[in-house]
Amino acid sequence: MTTSDSSSSPSSSGTESADLNPSSDPGTNSERVQSQLESMNLSQPSEVSDGSHTDYGGGDDDAEEEEEVASANGNEGGVSNGISVREDGLAGASGEEEVEPSSSRAEHPVEMEAGEEPPSPTSSGYDGERGSSGGATSTYKADDASEDEIREANVDGDTASQHEAAWLPGKRHVDEDDASISWRKRKKHFFILSNSGKPIYSRYGDEHKLAGFSATLQAIISFVENGGDRVNLVKAGKHQVVFLVKGPIYLVCISCTDETYEYLRGQLDLLYGQMILILTKSIDRCFEKNAKFDMTPLLGGTEAVFSSLVHSFSWNPATFLHAYTCLPLPFALRQSTGSILQDVCASGVLFALLMCRHKVVSLSGAQKASLHPDDLLLLSNFVMSSESFRTSESFSPICLPRYNPQAFLHAYVHFFDDDTYVMLLTTRSDAFYHLKDCRIRIEAVLLKSNILSTVQRSIAEGGMRVEDLPIDRRLRQKPSSTSNQGQDTSGPERLRDVSVGTGGPFGLWHFMYRSIYLDQYISSEFSPPVTTHRQQKSLYRAYQKLYASMHEKGLGPHKTQYRRDENYSLLCWVTPDFELYAAFDPLADKAMAIKMCNQVCQRVKELENEVFLQGASPFSW
Amino acid sequence: MGCAASLPDRNSGALNGLNSSENAVPADAKNLRVKLVLLGDSGVGKSCIVLRFVRGQFDATSKVTVGASFLSQTIALQDSTTVKFEIWDTAGQERYSALAPLYYRGAGVAVIVYDITSPESFKKAQYWVKELQKHGSPDIVMALVGNKADLHEKREVPTEDGMELAEKNGMFFIETSAKTADNINQLFEEIGKRLPRPSPSSS
Ligand SMILES: Nc1nc2c(ncn2[C@@H]2O[C@H](COP(=O)(O)OP(=O)(O)OP(=O)(O)O)[C@@H](O)[C@H]2O)c(=O)[nH]1
Ligand SMILES: [Mg+2]
Repeated sequence: MTTSDSSSSPSSSGTESADLNPSSDPGTNSERVQSQLESMNLSQPSEVSDGSHTDYGGGDDDAEEEEEVASANGNEGGVSNGISVREDGLAGASGEEEVEPSSSRAEHPVEMEAGEEPPSPTSSGYDGERGSSGGATSTYKADDASEDEIREANVDGDTASQHEAAWLPGKRHVDEDDASISWRKRKKHFFILSNSGKPIYSRYGDEHKLAGFSATLQAIISFVENGGDRVNLVKAGKHQVVFLVKGPIYLVCISCTDETYEYLRGQLDLLYGQMILILTKSIDRCFEKNAKFDMTPLLGGTEAVFSSLVHSFSWNPATFLHAYTCLPLPFALRQSTGSILQDVCASGVLFALLMCRHKVVSLSGAQKASLHPDDLLLLSNFVMSSESFRTSESFSPICLPRYNPQAFLHAYVHFFDDDTYVMLLTTRSDAFYHLKDCRIRIEAVLLKSNILSTVQRSIAEGGMRVEDLPIDRRLRQKPSSTSNQGQDTSGPERLRDVSVGTGGPFGLWHFMYRSIYLDQYISSEFSPPVTTHRQQKSLYRAYQKLYASMHEKGLGPHKTQYRRDENYSLLCWVTPDFELYAAFDPLADKAMAIKMCNQVCQRVKELENEVFLQGASPFSW
Repeated sequence: MGCAASLPDRNSGALNGLNSSENAVPADAKNLRVKLVLLGDSGVGKSCIVLRFVRGQFDATSKVTVGASFLSQTIALQDSTTVKFEIWDTAGQERYSALAPLYYRGAGVAVIVYDITSPESFKKAQYWVKELQKHGSPDIVMALVGNKADLHEKREVPTEDGMELAEKNGMFFIETSAKTADNINQLFEEIGKRLPRPSPSSS
């Protein structure tokens, strides 16, 4: 393994934006519009970071969002360039809001296209961390974060699995609208609207009350499109506004969560996919027939599906790795499950999947049919979040957006127990009784080999643990990790205290390994000191940044990156076969960390028959 | 009614109905089996009625049906015949309405449900009655059910309106409560009694 620091990797996002010139670079479709939506009525940073988020109910996902954006925002108030939306229009309900280019916007019309980035803590603070292997140079707001962590740990001390289980799907805060202060303070909004400005979906608040706000978003998008351009990203202080245009449907995310633009856009893409899964792309035709078509009734009763997807953006790595994960199982058991699923597919079923929660037990596809990991994610999210599937066997039309966004398939769904379910997908709408027979055959195999109880045990025990990694004796000789590097005291004390005697060997806290050709990943269970949901979310966000930077264009096939801040040392290793993301104690020894990564890869290779689905996967055809 | 383009095309010929192969086997006069479909607006209580009937349970938390659920239950009538109901509990959400023929085609019984506190759901029930008169099999047994009868202080659809609609269309009418179990078994027993018996000559 050859390792180099990332200082040689491509430029920071700030530089990248400056380089983007649509006219000289036709290959770039993502033009970033940098501007400020000063008067969009979203909360000012000071309101958001005053720690008052507990006011909105402790069980709320949003209440647990980290205050992770640096508070030193020199640019909050001023509109240097960009679109300004007249404030009084926003609160109105007429749907006739005007969008006025501000005076400064009018004076600098080019700036929107050129995308000159105003200094923003989101980008600059982060870029500063990059390649800083030498120690704590970042501006990450570690102190506040750890205070929050302590507070949260005292309140509920939740873990990821508890959080996952305790979290209740369904829309909350329906009583809010854009005039509510609580609504404006939410850290992450998602909207879906039509190109005529009709609301389709909003994460918070009642869609119908947000008609005025939707019209404003629509006006911004059309304003830019009429100029022959596309608006992808608007930065307004600590807020990012990300747009995605899919034919007559517009998707918008307004966030101050410090996630990467790439990931937020990926989230909008999944949100759109979830909608297509429910309705197919033929909804486009409704808008062709009637531009003012109201789509909300067609999505009736699906709030839980969307809110559970949005929730998964913060806990399910499949949403940014674009890979699926398997439940660890003895090879022979997965084999026998796979072969019955294969039999079923041979009898005219397009896809047959046995799942435990969001993890694959086994799956099979008809010849030449391949299932995209994103479709699998959306499908399992749909089934897991729709309570009615658990009451009895069901038969429902669904569409797999990556397989064929135009047509419905028919899904037979049956839960064997609280967690384990089978999905059989077919093109035939009259196949129910055949699929029911298939399920009975599958069930017989599962019962005969006691597979269901093995599955239950595996989901209860969890996956790989860093603590269980075998320690290479040669590595053990060397002094390492935490205690020997105690001279650096700038990191958060609490993390260090907790980390003594926790985690894996040599300060390894967590890893994710993604096999490129299998389209699968395995990630270790969270273990101390990364225990609270907040810490886990923050680690995932660090991974996402790493992922985004590793997937920038123009990098060679072998890449490594090492970066360190107060919270972690992160190591990433990308080859044509796999990607490894690993998080270490911030004080872990770098050379040891690299050796440890090699060990993790070796261990995953040893276990690959248990943690991955081999061969039977339709992806290998 | 929404936009047909977003729904499976009912003229595609793909909707041949869902009929189990066993259905082809004629039931004997003492052991009947029949395909029953429940139709009605979302939230009127179709699933609650079925779960009360099949499992004796009532769960007040709403679980919007996706597509359709399949359940079965066998009852014994007073004359010692048994009836096995193969029940299709369809989703009342608008996006699934074009899918209904898949479930009512070939059904021996259609149960159309409304909520006595919701005039809108009664309107929807009238729509389903018309639809079935047009496209259902001619000898289908139809029942009209006014559910949530326990909420009488919130009643907005008078019993007489239900009775009148049922009478005009040759339907059996009953008001039920899945919550209190009132009239749930009676509903299915009455349906069982009204089923056409296989004539002795045919067996
Ligand atoms: N008070 C009262 N509430 C009821 C009764 N039956 C159902 N409900 C309530 O009505 C709600 C909807 O009932 P469901 O059975 O899910 O309605 P549905 O007709 O199946 O709806 P879809 O599946 O969307 O078509 C549930 O939350 C129940 O609590 C009843 O008899 N009395
Ligand atoms: Mg239902």
